[in-house]
Amino acid sequence: MSLKAIKAILLIEDNLADVRLLREMFNDHGEHGTTLMHVDCVSAAEKHLAEHAIDIILLDPGLPDAQGLGSIRRIHAAAPRLPLVVLTSLDDESLAERTLQEGAQDYLVKGQIEVRGILRALRYATERKRLERLKDEFVSTVSHELRTPLTSISGSLGLLMGNAAGNLPRPMERLLAIAYNNCQRLVRLVSDILDIEKMEAGRIGFNFSRVAVRSLVAQAIEANRGFAEGYGVRVQFDEAGIAADVRADPDRLLQVITNLLSNAIKFSPAADEVSVAVEKGINTVRLTVRDHGPGIPVDFKPLIFEKFAQADAGDARQKGGTGLGLSIVKQIVDRLGGEVGFADADGGGTIFYVQLPCWDHVASLALDHDAKPGVPRILLCEDDLDTALVLREQLRQAGFTTDFAYSVGDALTRAVVTQYQAILVDIHLPDGDGVSLIVRLRALPQYHDTSIIVISADPSRGRDDLRSSRLNVIDWLKKPVDLNRLLPLLAKSIAHEASGRPRILHVDEDDSVACALGAIGDVVTVNSIAAAKNALKTSDFDLAVLDVALAKGASPDLLPELRDSKGNVIPVVVFSAKGARFASDIQVQTALANSHTSIDSLVATVRDRLASRRTSPVREVL
Amino acid sequence: MTDIRILLVDDEPDVREVVDVSLGLDPQFKTRACASGADALITAAEWSPSIILLDVMMPLMDGPTTLANLRKNPRTAHIPVVFLTARMRADEIEQYTSLGAQGVLSKPFDPMTLAASVRSYLPPLPVHHAP
Repeated sequence: MSLKAIKAILLIEDNLADVRLLREMFNDHGEHGTTLMHVDCVSAAEKHLAEHAIDIILLDPGLPDAQGLGSIRRIHAAAPRLPLVVLTSLDDESLAERTLQEGAQDYLVKGQIEVRGILRALRYATERKRLERLKDEFVSTVSHELRTPLTSISGSLGLLMGNAAGNLPRPMERLLAIAYNNCQRLVRLVSDILDIEKMEAGRIGFNFSRVAVRSLVAQAIEANRGFAEGYGVRVQFDEAGIAADVRADPDRLLQVITNLLSNAIKFSPAADEVSVAVEKGINTVRLTVRDHGPGIPVDFKPLIFEKFAQADAGDARQKGGTGLGLSIVKQIVDRLGGEVGFADADGGGTIFYVQLPCWDHVASLALDHDAKPGVPRILLCEDDLDTALVLREQLRQAGFTTDFAYSVGDALTRAVVTQYQAILVDIHLPDGDGVSLIVRLRALPQYHDTSIIVISADPSRGRDDLRSSRLNVIDWLKKPVDLNRLLPLLAKSIAHEASGRPRILHVDEDDSVACALGAIGDVVTVNSIAAAKNALKTSDFDLAVLDVALAKGASPDLLPELRDSKGNVIPVVVFSAKGARFASDIQVQTALANSHTSIDSLVATVRDRLASRRTSPVREVL
Repeated sequence: MTDIRILLVDDEPDVREVVDVSLGLDPQFKTRACASGADALITAAEWSPSIILLDVMMPLMDGPTTLANLRKNPRTAHIPVVFLTARMRADEIEQYTSLGAQGVLSKPFDPMTLAASVRSYLPPLPVHHAP
């Protein structure tokens, strides 16, 4: 394959001088018909890759929105099937090695390589990627092809073992059991190979949620009970220890624990004990699995997470392993954003540990601690932490503060505590879909008119949902988000909220007044003093309307807070349902009974107040 | 007790036989097997099975195409279809259900529990009236 087959190169580079240099180089030495396209950050690259046909990617991993391995991972995830060449000024051997392990085909150092070298590297990278793809396809096809004969074999043996063809004579039963057990091992081996292949090709989606590690460990122990009994091994675990929750995909984490556990059981001497422990650190939770086996030979330690690595091949095969278990563990833990390792245990045996981000830590990231007063606050409902962090950074540069909600439940709690000026919703959330979240948000009076934008890998899916037409969603954006489209939408909706119509804070338990006030301004209705205080913390208002029944009890502590973000006093109109007289700290002027007439005159008074709101702050009672 | 009719579609003769024996463990099940999608369309229309077990990878007409054709014919459109397949990637399973399959069973399967798994996909029993 020659460079002629490379039609489109995507260059991801933020140093414009380097871009110019490479362009000139391609014009002088590149073949005709090859186009060099350029973007300057990862999110622009993700968008470009989704929309254009590209043959190869040339990436400088130090970018404004992602650095080093992080940017390589994201680009590889966005286009797992494209060859990727890293071009960097960092001459770092260990980084180069990691780069290739993360899926890149080559690592070139700027200044160490001349034009023809780069062109050759691109050609070779393309060829390498093609061979890798052929290998992956071959592995996948072979594995599926193996399953067809395995279906007949394991099915027939299973029927015989289940006495479906009558009771078996003893010696025959023994031999059939051997055939059956080995057949099951082959079935496991094939699914492990497929799992590895899927993971390497980035084809497994991870669904993150809050996971209680202890109950997951209990499940894994239960699932391995028969296996442990077969080896005469006891598994010891204190299920009632302190709760330790992590953010992970529960199914995948269960696979990790199960693999570590079955490994420990296999290598334990008979009648011995495997102990599992869960400890909570500051930002992480650490799971350890300890066996009293022979330990890991020194020579084998660097290879332990490699595919088909088995310390003593003969021994391990006798134990029924596939040689893929730990490799799968490593791949999953990497994707979960954690760390896996092992150590010799005091007194013999081995301890394997897995360290994962603790839920509390992830939850603490949910609030944007860099929030500055007066900066519009946005709620981003997204379960992928990395995506959320990147978007927060981009939105921060554009002048927004962003809080996260990782689930539907999370989003609803947060939205009540804080009044957001706009909400971004990912359609796919772990505990429900984004459309039903929007339905529930719209049912809250304070979010009746708030700008909501949907972000989704497949926006058409949610848009076709019958409920969607009534939800007043401003736009449905495809992932990765196009900032050029998102930012103007946000700016516009927040500007609308900030200027234009006056904002009225309505503290009342009755909605009919809110409807009438809606004619002259944007009304946020809350039904308690506590909710009013929260609304005041996050949003500016031009006027507050208080029901006296609520105002009376709480006026001393609410009124000092009736100021906008610039410290100006917000005028208050106190509205009475019963025409009573009020507490002395509110300047009493008028009182009306709660009737249609009184609502009309309330609206008129509010209108007057708003017209003169800059001249003198007034507290008025109707 | 009335028979429950199961139509099995798979191009592998050995798989057909093993599935047939496995389903035979349930005395109420009566199984017929077809070796191709085309065959299945005819048999399904004539025999009106209670449920169809459909392989995915078959020559000429694959499982998803067979399902689409079953849905086009008013005589077979209502019959529940369950895929029995070695292709169990999450995106593949999603594709099967979006085509209107009631479920997916994996190959290799446990022959001693296959009948019970198939039973769980059967629609509620129809009410029989005396002729």
